[in-house]
Amino acid sequence: MLEPLQLVVNGERRSLDVEPRTLLVHALRDGLGLTGAHIGCDTSQCGACTVLLDGRAVKSCTLLALQAEGAEITTIESLASDGEMHPIQRSFVENHGLQCGFCTPGLILTATDLLSRDPDPSDDTIRHSLRGNFCRCTGYETIVESIRAAGAEMRGSVGR
Amino acid sequence: MSEAHIGVARPRIDAPDKVTGATKFGADGYVHGLLHARLVLSTEAHARIRAIHGDDALSVPGVVAVLTAADLPTATTGTDRAAEPLAREEVVFAGQPVAMVVAETEAAAEDGAEVVMVELETLPPVVDLEDAMRPGSALARLVEKAEGGSDLESIHAGVDHGQEDAEQEQLSANVLDRVQRKNGDAAAALDASEVVVFGTFRTPWVYQAYLEPQVATTWLEPSGTLVVSTGTQGSFVSRKELARAFGLPLDRVRVVAEPLGGSFGGKLALIEPLAAGATLALRRPVRLVLTRGEDFLATNPASAQVTHLRVGARKDGTFTGIEARMLVDRGTNAGWGVEGITSSLLVGPYRWEAHDIVGYGIQTNRFTFGAYRAPGAPTAAFALESLLDELAEKLGIDPIEIRLRNAVVEGDIGISGNAYPTIGAVEVLERIREHPLWSARASLPENEGIGFAAGYWPGGNEPAAAICRVDTDGTMTVVTSSVDMSGVDTGFAVIAAAAFGLDPNKVRVVFADTATGPYSGASGGSKVTYTVGKAVEGAARAARVKVLAAASQELEIAPDDLEVVDGVVRAIGAPDRSITVEEIVGKALRYGGRYEPIEGHGGSAQTRGAPSVAAHLSHVRVDRDTGEVELLRHVIAQDVGRALNPALVEGQMRGGAAQGMGWALFERLDHDEDGRLLTGSFLDYAIPVAERVPEIDTLIVEVPAPDGPFGAKGIGEAPVVGAAPAISNAVAAATGVRIHELPMTPPRVWQALRQDSGPTETPA
Repeated sequence: MLEPLQLVVNGERRSLDVEPRTLLVHALRDGLGLTGAHIGCDTSQCGACTVLLDGRAVKSCTLLALQAEGAEITTIESLASDGEMHPIQRSFVENHGLQCGFCTPGLILTATDLLSRDPDPSDDTIRHSLRGNFCRCTGYETIVESIRAAGAEMRGSVGR
Repeated sequence: MSEAHIGVARPRIDAPDKVTGATKFGADGYVHGLLHARLVLSTEAHARIRAIHGDDALSVPGVVAVLTAADLPTATTGTDRAAEPLAREEVVFAGQPVAMVVAETEAAAEDGAEVVMVELETLPPVVDLEDAMRPGSALARLVEKAEGGSDLESIHAGVDHGQEDAEQEQLSANVLDRVQRKNGDAAAALDASEVVVFGTFRTPWVYQAYLEPQVATTWLEPSGTLVVSTGTQGSFVSRKELARAFGLPLDRVRVVAEPLGGSFGGKLALIEPLAAGATLALRRPVRLVLTRGEDFLATNPASAQVTHLRVGARKDGTFTGIEARMLVDRGTNAGWGVEGITSSLLVGPYRWEAHDIVGYGIQTNRFTFGAYRAPGAPTAAFALESLLDELAEKLGIDPIEIRLRNAVVEGDIGISGNAYPTIGAVEVLERIREHPLWSARASLPENEGIGFAAGYWPGGNEPAAAICRVDTDGTMTVVTSSVDMSGVDTGFAVIAAAAFGLDPNKVRVVFADTATGPYSGASGGSKVTYTVGKAVEGAARAARVKVLAAASQELEIAPDDLEVVDGVVRAIGAPDRSITVEEIVGKALRYGGRYEPIEGHGGSAQTRGAPSVAAHLSHVRVDRDTGEVELLRHVIAQDVGRALNPALVEGQMRGGAAQGMGWALFERLDHDEDGRLLTGSFLDYAIPVAERVPEIDTLIVEVPAPDGPFGAKGIGEAPVVGAAPAISNAVAAATGVRIHELPMTPPRVWQALRQDSGPTETPA
């Protein structure tokens, strides 16, 4: 049995039909082809599937697609605009905040949420905010640096 | 040739795609008509399969087939995972795939898998490693099956199996392998030593915990060629294993390695045979993406190990004898285990007067053992480096100083009887000793400690080839069949650019597949930069010869008098007499062109290894009330040969150290007494998270590898080796109590602090 679902995904109204049990992450990946949301676990620990739901970072495996009815979803695919990377994305590139890259979209979206609420977080705050995002490759230090540097750049650009 | 771009930190080539979500990992690509597979896993650790009932599953809408071992067109009767993707007759671990449901959707496959009925007749499970090796133990495998002929061991390290001791031990048939490494009279050397220390050290099964679960997608081309799109560390290895498993000619298997979402040794021909078997049986495209739960249960983690170790030294700190028995749990892996590697690495990067080390590979009903970053090395280093600290303490010698007095240098004879190649042990130890954290250890608050340990990895060799092509826009394309791991492509670009004379930003790196690319071995054993990188260097030099020949005609100057700098060929000493590479290629790549295409092929076949030594300082605080160990700071120094890209090198160093922190404090795959996994999710199996990993200082030491590209070598494995013993030594420094078993979880530390620090366990 399929149910109709309306979402605003990356600024566009999208309609799709999903099974009631379909998780948001599966609707995004399989229904809309937005494969930047990765599936790394089945217990909502790893954070690889993190997206923004009405501006807040959520693990898209923790809710049913139907629970997101009417919500605004932002995935990693829309963070760059007009071919320009978002400052957080650019910062991850420049500060080597990634290796295999599987956890990276989730980390960047978690950081987007963090910096929207706390533009100048301490390293401890950054590390705390990442408790729901695993990275197995980097040892986290360059990720923390990437978020710190992105925060600085975004604060600077607000002032300009 | 210009080395100006070598040693410059530059972003990874693949970073823009990875931060924008554009990278397509193995589970992301669209395939028309794709079916989805879901596994049915054994709930028992050891059992005979009575029957498998798939009728209920077949009645689930969307389910296409329920496959068992008999349905897969396997061609061999071996017991390795490629030869036996689904269990035949006998189940040998809880989590072993016994059936596969294939359906039009993932959800239907899952629904089907839930209603497959498997009838098992339980057999006694072999779970305890030490019990398993005793004569009279139950056997972990009853049904004899022919050997499959897999050679996965050779991917990770070139290991000889030492010599057999004449004296026979009474051992269970669960002991599949016994290796002995012996030189001189270790017992006599120990008897004559001023100080002897001993201990028994235990490490658990540890999971690679790559963030991307294993995935493979397979289909048949109209020609009948089996195409396998997969996260694998070695496309040619996967091809060979699949051809063997299904009796196919090599050219009928085409393996395409997709970007890896982490692997660390764990992804190599493990699940491809399942997807391939389904495709061959059903003639349809099939994708198998493991759930995390399946990945925990059904893949191939690092094995548990017990090391009984005795080492001695003279009053001046000279190491004398080393004697050990190493029990290695292979689980159900009959093909290979790490007893060969771990017994050879136990001596560390140190000289010993005599050694006698016996390693046992023992089968149990737990998992299929597999490789995890520096297989067998962290376990060996945990035992050795713990006892070296005890030697230092008893002798009143600084822990780094005592190791320096015994550190190997080029030409020293190693455990296999061969001379060490260039090795930076002394340089690394001297460098880390200068770090301010080491001198800070004298003035620490109560319950804090700073520990030191070193580790090393011998590096691997395997011939490899590469191609470089220059296009009419002056850009270069480098083609190898290596896989996307640890940023090797970014390294290849710098190597090719330097060897040719180009800006690295003008170099693209392409990973080819087994049908289209030159040969590369698996990415394992820390050999890609060293061997494939060397081939890339050769290919770029060969292309440079072509461009010089053409430029020589254009400029009427002998090739020897020309140089290539940033894409311009110019006369040495007269740079205004020049022609751009772009222009030359334009004269070659056209109808009626005058010159051969500016392309080169390069190969490598080093015979000398390039070992890498990494040393660690760990600063910890121990909470005596809870037993919790808090990591305050970490320092790692490593000899990397030459840092082609320091940012990526530091990434490997920090990442390896962080995984070592997992070994030290958090990670343990545990079974119950029936062999069922107790820690099969990230709820129960903790990996280091950002808040638990401290800042990690990196000290890059460069002792160029003579046979590596521009002195570089493989560096991915060494950094994990010594991290756990450094932390353990820090805990001992903080508390005066030595922990002999990993991970050092709060209950374990708490208990150890409450017991007398009393006598160590009896020697082996």
